[in-house]
Amino acid sequence: MRMSKVQVLIQGMLVAAMLLFFLLPIYWLLSTAFKFGRDAFATPPQWFFFHYTLENFRQLWQNSGTPGYLRNSIIISGGVTALSLLLGVPAGYALARSQSRLIAASSHLFLLLLMLPPIAMLIPFYLLMRQLHLLGSYAGLILLDTLFDASFVAWLMRSTFAEMPPAMEEAALVDGASVWQVFRKIALPLAWPGLSAAAIYCLIFSWNDFLFALMLTSPRTKTLPLGIMASFSAVEISWGRMAAMSFIAVLPPFFVALFLNRTWQATISQRSSPNS
Amino acid sequence: MKRTREKHYLLLLTPLLLLVLLLAIYPLLFALGISFFNYRLTDPTQTRHFVGLANYLRAFHSPLVHTAVINTLLFVAGTVSLELLLGLGMALLLNHENKLIQLIRSWLVLPMALPALVVGLIWKALYNVDFGPLTYYLKHLGLNLGRGPLGESHLALPAVMLIDVWQWTPLAMLIFLAGLKSLPQEPYDAARVDGANSWQQFWHLTLPLLKPTWLILLLLRTMQGFKVFDTLYATTGGGPGTATTVLNYHIYTQGMVFFRMGYAAALANILLVLVGMLAIFYIILLERQRQ
Repeated sequence: MRMSKVQVLIQGMLVAAMLLFFLLPIYWLLSTAFKFGRDAFATPPQWFFFHYTLENFRQLWQNSGTPGYLRNSIIISGGVTALSLLLGVPAGYALARSQSRLIAASSHLFLLLLMLPPIAMLIPFYLLMRQLHLLGSYAGLILLDTLFDASFVAWLMRSTFAEMPPAMEEAALVDGASVWQVFRKIALPLAWPGLSAAAIYCLIFSWNDFLFALMLTSPRTKTLPLGIMASFSAVEISWGRMAAMSFIAVLPPFFVALFLNRTWQATISQRSSPNS
Repeated sequence: MKRTREKHYLLLLTPLLLLVLLLAIYPLLFALGISFFNYRLTDPTQTRHFVGLANYLRAFHSPLVHTAVINTLLFVAGTVSLELLLGLGMALLLNHENKLIQLIRSWLVLPMALPALVVGLIWKALYNVDFGPLTYYLKHLGLNLGRGPLGESHLALPAVMLIDVWQWTPLAMLIFLAGLKSLPQEPYDAARVDGANSWQQFWHLTLPLLKPTWLILLLLRTMQGFKVFDTLYATTGGGPGTATTVLNYHIYTQGMVFFRMGYAAALANILLVLVGMLAIFYIILLERQRQ
Protein backbone atom coordinates (compact mmCIF):
# COMPACT_ATOMS: atom_id res chain seq x y z
CA MET A 1 0.00 0.00 0.00
CA ARG A 2 1.35 3.42 -0.94
CA MET A 3 1.14 6.18 1.60
CA SER A 4 1.23 9.90 1.09
CA LYS A 5 3.96 12.00 2.70
CA VAL A 6 1.46 13.42 5.19
CA GLN A 7 0.47 9.93 6.30
CA VAL A 8 4.10 8.95 6.80
CA LEU A 9 4.65 12.11 8.80
CA ILE A 10 1.62 11.45 11.03
CA GLN A 11 2.69 7.87 11.59
CA GLY A 12 6.18 8.95 12.49
CA MET A 13 4.85 11.45 14.98
CA LEU A 14 2.57 8.87 16.58
CA VAL A 15 5.43 6.39 16.92
CA ALA A 16 7.61 9.11 18.46
CA ALA A 17 4.86 9.96 20.95
CA MET A 18 4.55 6.29 21.89
CA LEU A 19 8.27 5.93 22.43
CA LEU A 20 8.32 9.07 24.54
CA PHE A 21 5.42 7.91 26.73
CA PHE A 22 6.71 4.40 27.31
CA LEU A 23 10.42 5.09 27.59
CA LEU A 24 10.74 8.44 29.33
CA PRO A 25 9.76 7.04 32.77
CA ILE A 26 12.42 4.35 32.37
CA TYR A 27 14.98 6.94 31.31
CA TRP A 28 14.04 8.99 34.37
CA LEU A 29 14.83 6.02 36.62
CA LEU A 30 18.11 5.16 34.97
CA SER A 31 19.34 8.77 34.90
CA THR A 32 18.27 9.52 38.47
CA ALA A 33 20.45 6.65 39.67
CA PHE A 34 23.43 8.73 38.51
CA LYS A 35 22.31 12.07 39.92
CA PHE A 36 23.19 13.97 43.05
CA GLY A 37 20.24 14.80 45.29
CA ARG A 38 19.99 18.43 44.15
CA ASP A 39 19.72 17.38 40.48
CA ALA A 40 17.16 14.69 41.27
CA PHE A 41 14.96 17.25 43.00
CA ALA A 42 15.60 20.08 40.55
CA THR A 43 12.76 22.07 38.98
CA PRO A 44 12.60 22.35 36.07
CA PRO A 45 13.57 18.67 35.75
CA GLN A 46 17.14 17.98 34.61
CA TRP A 47 17.00 15.42 31.82
CA PHE A 48 20.45 15.39 30.26
CA PHE A 49 22.77 18.09 31.59
CA PHE A 50 23.64 17.25 35.15
CA HIS A 51 26.71 16.00 36.99
CA TYR A 52 26.95 12.26 36.66
CA THR A 53 27.96 10.50 39.82
CA LEU A 54 28.35 7.00 41.22
CA GLU A 55 27.75 8.34 44.73
CA ASN A 56 24.36 6.60 45.05
CA PHE A 57 25.86 3.22 44.23
CA ARG A 58 28.78 3.76 46.60
CA GLN A 59 26.36 4.50 49.42
CA LEU A 60 24.30 1.44 48.57
CA TRP A 61 27.29 -0.80 48.82
CA GLN A 62 28.48 0.68 52.09
CA ASN A 63 25.59 1.32 54.38
CA SER A 64 22.50 -0.53 53.34
CA GLY A 65 21.42 -4.12 53.10
CA THR A 66 21.73 -4.11 49.31
CA PRO A 67 24.37 -6.85 48.95
CA GLY A 68 22.22 -9.04 51.20
CA TYR A 69 19.03 -8.28 49.27
CA LEU A 70 20.82 -9.03 46.03
CA ARG A 71 22.06 -12.34 47.40
CA ASN A 72 18.57 -13.27 48.59
CA SER A 73 17.03 -12.37 45.24
CA ILE A 74 19.59 -14.53 43.43
CA ILE A 75 19.11 -17.49 45.79
CA ILE A 76 15.33 -17.30 45.56
CA SER A 77 14.95 -16.82 41.83
CA GLY A 78 17.63 -19.45 41.20
CA GLY A 79 15.90 -21.91 43.50
CA VAL A 80 12.48 -21.21 42.04
CA THR A 81 13.74 -21.64 38.48
CA ALA A 82 15.52 -24.93 39.19
CA LEU A 83 12.62 -26.40 41.13
CA SER A 84 9.98 -25.18 38.66
CA LEU A 85 11.79 -26.76 35.72
CA LEU A 86 12.36 -29.97 37.66
CA LEU A 87 8.66 -30.31 38.45
CA GLY A 88 7.09 -28.58 35.48
CA VAL A 89 8.99 -30.02 32.50
CA PRO A 90 8.24 -33.73 33.15
CA ALA A 91 4.66 -32.77 33.96
CA GLY A 92 4.38 -30.87 30.68
CA TYR A 93 5.70 -33.90 28.80
CA ALA A 94 3.10 -36.13 30.45
CA LEU A 95 0.35 -33.64 29.59
CA ALA A 96 1.45 -33.57 25.95
CA ARG A 97 1.87 -37.32 25.37
CA SER A 98 -0.59 -39.06 27.62
CA GLN A 99 -3.89 -40.25 26.15
CA SER A 100 -5.59 -40.41 29.52
CA ARG A 101 -8.61 -38.21 30.15
CA LEU A 102 -7.64 -37.74 33.77
CA ILE A 103 -4.24 -36.31 32.91
CA ALA A 104 -5.71 -34.02 30.28
CA ALA A 105 -8.18 -32.72 32.84
CA SER A 106 -5.39 -31.88 35.28
CA SER A 107 -3.94 -29.44 32.76
CA HIS A 108 -6.99 -27.28 33.37
CA LEU A 109 -6.26 -27.36 37.05
CA PHE A 110 -2.87 -25.75 36.41
CA LEU A 111 -4.36 -23.12 34.13
CA LEU A 112 -7.07 -22.26 36.63
CA LEU A 113 -4.47 -21.92 39.36
CA LEU A 114 -2.53 -19.41 37.25
CA MET A 115 -5.56 -17.19 36.92
CA LEU A 116 -6.87 -17.03 40.46
CA PRO A 117 -5.96 -14.02 42.60
CA PRO A 118 -2.94 -15.07 44.67
CA ILE A 119 -4.24 -13.21 47.72
CA ALA A 120 -6.91 -15.91 48.13
CA MET A 121 -4.18 -18.48 48.59
CA LEU A 122 -1.77 -16.24 50.43
CA ILE A 123 -3.64 -15.86 53.69
CA PRO A 124 -4.08 -19.59 54.35
CA PHE A 125 -0.60 -20.22 52.98
CA TYR A 126 0.80 -17.69 55.43
CA LEU A 127 -0.91 -19.53 58.28
CA LEU A 128 0.37 -22.86 56.99
CA MET A 129 3.96 -21.61 56.79
CA ARG A 130 3.57 -20.13 60.25
CA GLN A 131 2.55 -23.51 61.63
CA LEU A 132 5.47 -25.19 59.88
CA HIS A 133 7.85 -22.49 61.19
CA LEU A 134 8.84 -21.67 57.62
CA LEU A 135 7.91 -17.98 57.78
CA GLY A 136 10.94 -15.90 56.91
CA SER A 137 12.81 -18.84 55.41
CA TYR A 138 13.92 -19.17 51.82
CA ALA A 139 11.96 -22.41 51.60
CA GLY A 140 8.51 -20.92 52.14
CA LEU A 141 8.89 -18.28 49.44
CA ILE A 142 10.56 -20.66 47.00
CA LEU A 143 7.74 -23.18 47.44
CA LEU A 144 5.01 -20.62 46.84
CA ASP A 145 6.72 -19.09 43.80
CA THR A 146 7.33 -22.59 42.47
CA LEU A 147 3.66 -23.47 42.81
CA PHE A 148 2.74 -20.81 40.26
CA ASP A 149 5.83 -20.93 38.07
CA ALA A 150 5.93 -24.73 37.78
CA SER A 151 2.25 -24.74 36.80
CA PHE A 152 3.05 -22.29 34.02
CA VAL A 153 6.12 -24.28 32.96
CA ALA A 154 3.95 -27.41 32.70
CA TRP A 155 1.47 -25.50 30.56
CA LEU A 156 4.18 -24.00 28.34
CA MET A 157 6.09 -27.26 27.92
CA ARG A 158 2.89 -29.10 27.10
CA SER A 159 2.56 -27.08 23.91
CA THR A 160 6.30 -27.30 23.19
CA PHE A 161 6.26 -31.10 23.39
CA ALA A 162 2.93 -31.38 21.61
CA GLU A 163 4.37 -29.50 18.61
CA MET A 164 7.24 -31.97 18.26
CA PRO A 165 6.46 -34.89 15.90
CA PRO A 166 6.03 -38.00 18.05
CA ALA A 167 7.27 -40.47 15.41
CA MET A 168 10.78 -40.91 16.81
CA GLU A 169 9.51 -41.27 20.35
CA GLU A 170 6.93 -43.84 19.20
CA ALA A 171 9.63 -45.87 17.47
CA ALA A 172 11.81 -45.88 20.58
CA LEU A 173 8.87 -46.97 22.73
CA VAL A 174 8.13 -49.83 20.32
CA ASP A 175 11.79 -50.85 20.55
CA GLY A 176 11.32 -51.28 24.27
CA ALA A 177 12.62 -47.99 25.68
CA SER A 178 10.81 -46.76 28.77
CA VAL A 179 8.83 -43.53 28.89
CA TRP A 180 11.48 -42.04 31.13
CA GLN A 181 14.30 -42.92 28.71
CA VAL A 182 12.39 -41.48 25.77
CA PHE A 183 11.72 -38.30 27.70
CA ARG A 184 15.35 -37.91 28.82
CA LYS A 185 17.16 -38.96 25.67
CA ILE A 186 14.89 -37.94 22.81
CA ALA A 187 12.27 -35.38 23.79
CA LEU A 188 14.21 -33.23 26.24
CA PRO A 189 17.22 -32.46 23.99
CA LEU A 190 14.86 -31.36 21.21
CA ALA A 191 12.87 -29.09 23.49
CA TRP A 192 15.65 -26.56 24.09
CA PRO A 193 13.85 -23.45 22.82
CA GLY A 194 10.86 -24.15 25.03
CA LEU A 195 13.08 -24.95 28.00
CA SER A 196 15.02 -21.71 27.78
CA ALA A 197 11.79 -19.74 27.45
CA ALA A 198 10.44 -21.46 30.55
CA ALA A 199 13.63 -20.77 32.49
CA ILE A 200 13.60 -17.09 31.53
CA TYR A 201 9.99 -16.78 32.59
CA CYS A 202 10.65 -18.30 36.02
CA LEU A 203 13.74 -16.18 36.59
CA ILE A 204 12.04 -12.90 35.74
CA PHE A 205 8.79 -13.56 37.53
CA SER A 206 10.37 -14.70 40.76
CA TRP A 207 12.88 -11.84 40.50
CA ASN A 208 10.08 -9.29 40.07
CA ASP A 209 7.75 -10.73 42.70
CA PHE A 210 6.82 -8.43 45.55
CA LEU A 211 3.60 -9.56 47.21
CA PHE A 212 4.73 -13.10 48.05
CA ALA A 213 8.06 -11.88 49.38
CA LEU A 214 6.31 -9.17 51.39
CA MET A 215 4.26 -11.75 53.23
CA LEU A 216 6.78 -14.54 53.62
CA THR A 217 10.26 -13.10 54.13
CA SER A 218 11.99 -11.81 57.23
CA PRO A 219 14.59 -9.01 57.37
CA ARG A 220 17.21 -11.69 56.80
CA THR A 221 15.65 -13.09 53.63
CA LYS A 222 14.31 -9.89 52.05
CA THR A 223 14.58 -9.68 48.29
CA LEU A 224 15.55 -6.63 46.25
CA PRO A 225 12.05 -5.19 45.67
CA LEU A 226 11.41 -5.36 49.41
CA GLY A 227 14.76 -3.79 50.09
CA ILE A 228 13.90 -0.93 47.75
CA MET A 229 10.60 -0.37 49.50
CA ALA A 230 12.17 -0.61 52.96
CA SER A 231 15.01 1.79 52.32
CA PHE A 232 12.59 4.12 50.64
CA SER A 233 10.12 4.36 53.47
CA ALA A 234 12.95 4.94 55.93
CA VAL A 235 13.26 8.35 57.53
CA GLU A 236 15.59 9.90 55.02
CA ILE A 237 13.97 9.54 51.62
CA SER A 238 16.55 9.43 48.91
CA TRP A 239 15.25 9.17 45.39
CA GLY A 240 18.80 8.77 44.13
CA ARG A 241 19.42 5.72 46.29
CA MET A 242 15.99 4.31 45.42
CA ALA A 243 16.80 4.76 41.74
CA ALA A 244 20.23 3.18 42.12
CA MET A 245 18.74 0.16 43.88
CA SER A 246 15.99 -0.11 41.27
CA PHE A 247 18.68 0.16 38.59
CA ILE A 248 20.19 -3.06 39.92
CA ALA A 249 16.75 -4.66 40.18
CA VAL A 250 15.76 -3.85 36.59
CA LEU A 251 19.01 -4.96 34.94
CA PRO A 252 18.13 -8.67 34.57
CA PRO A 253 14.62 -8.11 33.15
CA PHE A 254 16.03 -5.35 30.94
CA PHE A 255 18.66 -7.65 29.54
CA VAL A 256 16.11 -10.36 28.86
CA ALA A 257 13.57 -8.07 27.23
CA LEU A 258 16.12 -6.41 24.95
CA PHE A 259 18.51 -9.18 24.02
CA LEU A 260 16.40 -12.30 24.29
CA ASN A 261 13.36 -10.43 23.03
CA ARG A 262 12.10 -13.10 20.64
CA THR A 263 11.90 -15.74 23.36
CA TRP A 264 10.60 -13.28 25.90
CA GLN A 265 7.83 -11.94 23.69
CA ALA A 266 6.79 -15.41 22.62
CA THR A 267 6.64 -16.62 26.21
CA ILE A 268 4.72 -13.64 27.48
CA SER A 269 2.17 -13.98 24.69
CA GLN A 270 1.92 -17.67 25.42
CA ARG A 271 1.28 -16.89 29.06
CA SER A 272 -1.72 -14.91 27.92
CA SER A 273 -3.16 -17.00 25.15
CA PRO A 274 -1.87 -20.46 25.86
CA ASN A 275 -2.79 -21.94 22.51
CA SER A 276 -1.55 -19.30 20.10
CA MET B 1 2.06 -52.06 27.33
CA LYS B 2 -0.19 -49.04 26.92
CA ARG B 3 -1.24 -49.32 30.57
CA THR B 4 2.34 -49.17 31.88
CA ARG B 5 3.03 -46.24 29.60
CA GLU B 6 0.12 -44.28 31.04
CA LYS B 7 1.32 -45.18 34.50
CA HIS B 8 4.71 -43.72 33.71
CA TYR B 9 3.13 -40.53 32.40
CA LEU B 10 1.19 -40.24 35.61
CA LEU B 11 4.43 -40.72 37.52
CA LEU B 12 6.01 -37.80 35.66
CA LEU B 13 3.04 -35.64 36.56
CA THR B 14 2.70 -36.70 40.19
CA PRO B 15 5.29 -34.42 41.85
CA LEU B 16 3.70 -31.26 40.45
CA LEU B 17 0.21 -32.54 41.15
CA LEU B 18 1.16 -33.20 44.76
CA LEU B 19 2.62 -29.73 45.10
CA VAL B 20 -0.60 -28.19 43.76
CA LEU B 21 -2.77 -30.29 46.05
CA LEU B 22 -0.65 -29.49 49.08
CA LEU B 23 0.05 -25.81 48.50
CA ALA B 24 -3.06 -24.69 46.64
CA ILE B 25 -6.02 -26.97 47.20
CA TYR B 26 -5.35 -27.53 50.88
CA PRO B 27 -4.90 -23.81 51.70
CA LEU B 28 -8.03 -22.97 49.69
CA LEU B 29 -10.08 -25.47 51.67
CA PHE B 30 -8.48 -24.19 54.85
CA ALA B 31 -9.48 -20.64 53.88
CA LEU B 32 -13.02 -21.82 53.32
CA GLY B 33 -12.96 -23.29 56.81
CA ILE B 34 -11.60 -20.29 58.70
CA SER B 35 -13.93 -17.90 56.90
CA PHE B 36 -16.66 -19.22 59.24
CA PHE B 37 -14.61 -18.36 62.32
CA ASN B 38 -13.64 -15.25 64.18
CA TYR B 39 -9.88 -15.76 64.10
CA ARG B 40 -7.45 -12.97 64.95
CA LEU B 41 -3.72 -13.56 65.03
CA THR B 42 -3.37 -10.62 67.42
CA ASP B 43 -5.52 -12.40 69.98
CA PRO B 44 -3.10 -13.69 72.64
CA THR B 45 -5.12 -16.83 73.31
CA GLN B 46 -5.42 -17.58 69.58
CA THR B 47 -8.93 -18.93 70.01
CA ARG B 48 -11.24 -19.37 67.06
CA HIS B 49 -14.95 -18.80 67.57
CA PHE B 50 -17.36 -20.29 65.12
CA VAL B 51 -19.48 -17.44 63.79
CA GLY B 52 -21.26 -19.05 60.85
CA LEU B 53 -21.84 -16.66 57.99
CA ALA B 54 -21.17 -13.55 60.07
CA ASN B 55 -17.94 -12.71 58.22
CA TYR B 56 -19.72 -12.87 54.88
CA LEU B 57 -22.66 -10.84 56.14
CA ARG B 58 -20.29 -8.26 57.56
CA ALA B 59 -18.54 -8.05 54.19
CA PHE B 60 -21.81 -7.54 52.33
CA HIS B 61 -22.83 -4.74 54.67
CA SER B 62 -19.48 -2.99 54.99
CA PRO B 63 -19.37 0.45 53.30
CA LEU B 64 -15.62 -0.01 52.88
CA VAL B 65 -16.19 -3.20 50.90
CA HIS B 66 -18.74 -1.40 48.74
CA THR B 67 -16.20 1.34 48.02
CA ALA B 68 -13.55 -1.28 47.30
CA VAL B 69 -15.83 -3.13 44.88
CA ILE B 70 -16.69 0.09 43.05
CA ASN B 71 -13.02 1.07 42.88
CA THR B 72 -12.12 -2.39 41.60
CA LEU B 73 -14.76 -2.23 38.87
CA LEU B 74 -13.71 1.30 37.86
CA PHE B 75 -10.06 0.29 37.84
CA VAL B 76 -10.65 -2.85 35.80
CA ALA B 77 -13.08 -1.28 33.32
CA GLY B 78 -10.91 1.80 32.82
CA THR B 79 -7.55 0.09 32.45
CA VAL B 80 -8.79 -2.78 30.32
CA SER B 81 -10.62 -0.60 27.81
CA LEU B 82 -7.74 1.87 27.50
CA GLU B 83 -5.13 -0.87 27.21
CA LEU B 84 -7.08 -2.67 24.52
CA LEU B 85 -7.77 0.45 22.46
CA LEU B 86 -4.24 1.80 22.73
CA GLY B 87 -2.76 -1.65 22.21
CA LEU B 88 -4.74 -2.15 19.01
CA GLY B 89 -3.73 1.28 17.74
CA MET B 90 -0.08 0.58 18.42
CA ALA B 91 -0.27 -2.86 16.85
CA LEU B 92 -1.78 -1.38 13.68
CA LEU B 93 0.92 1.28 13.53
CA LEU B 94 3.73 -1.23 13.97
CA ASN B 95 2.35 -4.04 11.86
CA HIS B 96 5.16 -4.03 9.26
CA GLU B 97 8.33 -6.05 9.20
CA ASN B 98 11.55 -4.12 9.04
CA LYS B 99 14.60 -3.79 11.26
CA LEU B 100 13.63 -0.40 12.68
CA ILE B 101 10.11 -1.45 13.57
CA GLN B 102 11.34 -4.64 15.20
CA LEU B 103 13.74 -2.57 17.27
CA ILE B 104 11.00 -0.14 18.29
CA ARG B 105 8.77 -3.04 19.28
CA SER B 106 11.37 -4.64 21.50
CA TRP B 107 11.92 -1.30 23.28
CA LEU B 108 8.21 -0.68 23.67
CA VAL B 109 7.66 -3.90 25.60
CA LEU B 110 10.20 -2.93 28.27
CA PRO B 111 7.62 -1.63 30.79
CA MET B 112 6.02 -5.01 31.27
CA ALA B 113 9.36 -6.66 32.02
CA LEU B 114 10.02 -4.40 35.00
CA PRO B 115 9.05 -5.25 38.59
CA ALA B 116 5.62 -3.68 39.19
CA LEU B 117 6.89 -2.26 42.45
CA VAL B 118 9.68 -0.33 40.73
CA VAL B 119 7.19 0.89 38.14
CA GLY B 120 5.00 2.16 40.97
CA LEU B 121 7.93 3.99 42.56
CA ILE B 122 8.99 5.59 39.26
CA TRP B 123 5.51 7.01 38.80
CA LYS B 124 5.30 8.06 42.41
CA ALA B 125 8.34 10.22 41.73
CA LEU B 126 6.99 11.49 38.40
CA TYR B 127 3.75 12.44 40.17
CA ASN B 128 5.49 14.03 43.16
CA VAL B 129 3.91 17.38 43.88
CA ASP B 130 7.18 19.20 44.68
CA PHE B 131 9.65 18.01 42.09
CA GLY B 132 7.91 15.36 39.97
CA PRO B 133 8.62 16.08 36.28
CA LEU B 134 5.10 15.16 35.16
CA THR B 135 3.44 17.36 37.77
CA TYR B 136 5.86 20.16 36.87
CA TYR B 137 4.87 20.14 33.19
CA LEU B 138 1.17 19.74 33.95
CA LYS B 139 1.30 22.74 36.29
CA HIS B 140 2.95 24.74 33.53
CA LEU B 141 0.01 23.88 31.32
CA GLY B 142 -2.06 25.67 33.93
CA LEU B 143 -3.62 22.67 35.63
CA ASN B 144 -4.42 22.94 39.29
CA LEU B 145 -3.22 19.69 40.87
CA GLY B 146 -3.57 20.57 44.55
CA ARG B 147 -1.66 18.01 46.58
CA GLY B 148 -0.55 16.23 43.43
CA PRO B 149 -2.17 13.49 41.33
CA LEU B 150 -1.71 10.89 44.07
CA GLY B 151 -2.73 13.20 46.89
CA GLU B 152 -6.15 14.34 45.70
CA SER B 153 -8.90 11.78 46.10
CA HIS B 154 -10.58 12.56 42.77
CA LEU B 155 -7.26 12.25 40.88
CA ALA B 156 -5.68 9.28 42.65
CA LEU B 157 -7.63 6.48 40.99
CA PRO B 158 -7.11 7.75 37.43
CA ALA B 159 -3.44 8.34 38.31
CA VAL B 160 -2.84 4.74 39.41
CA MET B 161 -4.86 3.51 36.44
CA LEU B 162 -2.47 5.36 34.14
CA ILE B 163 0.41 3.44 35.74
CA ASP B 164 -1.30 0.14 34.93
CA VAL B 165 -1.99 1.32 31.38
CA TRP B 166 1.66 2.28 31.01
CA GLN B 167 2.89 -1.11 32.13
CA TRP B 168 0.38 -3.37 30.37
CA THR B 169 -0.58 -1.70 27.07
CA PRO B 170 2.56 -3.22 25.49
CA LEU B 171 1.16 -6.67 26.27
CA ALA B 172 -2.07 -5.84 24.45
CA MET B 173 0.04 -4.57 21.55
CA LEU B 174 2.05 -7.81 21.40
CA ILE B 175 -1.03 -9.99 21.40
CA PHE B 176 -2.82 -7.85 18.83
CA LEU B 177 0.28 -8.04 16.63
CA ALA B 178 0.19 -11.83 16.86
CA GLY B 179 -3.53 -11.71 16.05
CA LEU B 180 -2.99 -9.42 13.04
CA LYS B 181 -0.26 -11.67 11.72
CA SER B 182 -2.55 -14.69 11.71
CA LEU B 183 -5.37 -13.00 9.76
CA PRO B 184 -6.23 -14.65 6.44
CA GLN B 185 -5.31 -12.69 3.30
CA GLU B 186 -8.16 -13.72 0.97
CA PRO B 187 -10.98 -11.56 2.42
CA TYR B 188 -8.77 -8.49 1.97
CA ASP B 189 -8.02 -9.33 -1.66
CA ALA B 190 -11.73 -9.76 -2.28
CA ALA B 191 -12.54 -6.49 -0.52
CA ARG B 192 -9.96 -4.61 -2.57
CA VAL B 193 -11.42 -6.00 -5.77
CA ASP B 194 -14.79 -4.73 -4.58
CA GLY B 195 -13.25 -1.30 -4.05
CA ALA B 196 -13.34 -1.12 -0.25
CA ASN B 197 -11.10 1.59 1.16
CA SER B 198 -8.74 0.91 4.02
CA TRP B 199 -11.15 2.31 6.63
CA GLN B 200 -13.91 -0.01 5.40
CA GLN B 201 -11.48 -2.93 5.40
CA PHE B 202 -10.54 -2.18 8.97
CA TRP B 203 -14.13 -1.76 10.17
CA HIS B 204 -15.72 -4.68 8.33
CA LEU B 205 -12.83 -7.17 8.19
CA THR B 206 -10.03 -6.57 10.66
CA LEU B 207 -12.16 -5.81 13.70
CA PRO B 208 -14.54 -8.78 13.30
CA LEU B 209 -11.72 -11.15 12.37
CA LEU B 210 -9.78 -10.11 15.46
CA LYS B 211 -12.71 -11.01 17.71
CA PRO B 212 -11.01 -14.02 19.34
CA THR B 213 -7.98 -11.87 20.18
CA TRP B 214 -10.22 -9.18 21.66
CA LEU B 215 -12.04 -11.67 23.80
CA ILE B 216 -8.95 -13.34 25.12
CA LEU B 217 -7.26 -10.07 25.95
CA LEU B 218 -10.41 -8.77 27.55
CA LEU B 219 -10.71 -11.75 29.87
CA LEU B 220 -7.01 -11.95 30.59
CA ARG B 221 -6.57 -8.29 31.45
CA THR B 222 -9.78 -8.31 33.47
CA MET B 223 -8.53 -11.14 35.62
CA GLN B 224 -5.13 -9.53 36.00
CA GLY B 225 -6.77 -6.22 36.84
CA PHE B 226 -8.43 -7.82 39.85
CA LYS B 227 -4.97 -8.78 41.11
CA VAL B 228 -3.39 -5.32 41.13
CA PHE B 229 -1.34 -4.87 44.27
CA ASP B 230 2.33 -3.86 43.92
CA THR B 231 1.53 -0.63 42.10
CA LEU B 232 -0.86 0.46 44.84
CA TYR B 233 1.50 -0.56 47.61
CA ALA B 234 4.26 1.56 46.07
CA THR B 235 2.14 4.62 45.38
CA THR B 236 -0.97 5.31 47.43
CA GLY B 237 -1.37 2.40 49.83
CA GLY B 238 -5.07 2.49 49.01
CA GLY B 239 -5.40 6.18 49.81
CA PRO B 240 -5.90 9.06 50.07
CA GLY B 241 -8.69 7.90 52.35
CA THR B 242 -10.14 4.99 50.46
CA ALA B 243 -9.82 6.53 46.99
CA THR B 244 -7.65 3.73 45.58
CA THR B 245 -8.61 0.84 47.86
CA VAL B 246 -9.50 -2.08 45.59
CA LEU B 247 -10.82 -5.39 46.86
CA ASN B 248 -7.46 -7.13 46.56
CA TYR B 249 -5.78 -4.42 48.60
CA HIS B 250 -8.55 -4.38 51.18
CA ILE B 251 -8.11 -8.12 51.74
CA TYR B 252 -4.40 -7.64 52.24
CA THR B 253 -4.97 -4.88 54.79
CA GLN B 254 -7.57 -6.86 56.73
CA GLY B 255 -5.47 -10.03 56.77
CA MET B 256 -1.86 -8.90 56.94
CA VAL B 257 -2.10 -5.54 58.69
CA PHE B 258 -5.00 -6.09 61.11
CA PHE B 259 -4.58 -9.89 61.17
CA ARG B 260 -8.34 -10.51 60.99
CA MET B 261 -7.82 -13.87 59.35
CA GLY B 262 -11.41 -15.12 59.31
CA TYR B 263 -12.80 -11.93 57.82
CA ALA B 264 -9.97 -11.62 55.29
CA ALA B 265 -10.52 -15.23 54.24
CA ALA B 266 -14.23 -14.54 53.71
CA LEU B 267 -13.39 -11.49 51.57
CA ALA B 268 -10.81 -13.50 49.64
CA ASN B 269 -13.38 -16.21 48.94
CA ILE B 270 -15.79 -13.64 47.54
CA LEU B 271 -13.06 -12.36 45.21
CA LEU B 272 -12.13 -15.92 44.34
CA VAL B 273 -15.66 -16.76 43.24
CA LEU B 274 -15.83 -13.58 41.12
CA VAL B 275 -12.52 -14.18 39.36
CA GLY B 276 -12.99 -17.96 39.28
CA MET B 277 -16.12 -17.61 37.18
CA LEU B 278 -14.24 -15.38 34.74
CA ALA B 279 -11.36 -17.85 34.63
CA ILE B 280 -13.61 -20.79 33.85
CA PHE B 281 -15.31 -18.79 31.13
CA TYR B 282 -11.86 -17.99 29.72
CA ILE B 283 -10.79 -21.64 29.74
CA ILE B 284 -13.98 -22.71 27.96
CA LEU B 285 -13.33 -20.04 25.35
CA LEU B 286 -9.76 -21.28 24.85
CA GLU B 287 -10.93 -24.85 24.45
CA ARG B 288 -13.52 -23.78 21.84
CA GLN B 289 -10.82 -22.01 19.85
CA ARG B 290 -8.50 -24.97 19.99
CA GLN B 291 -11.10 -27.10 18.21
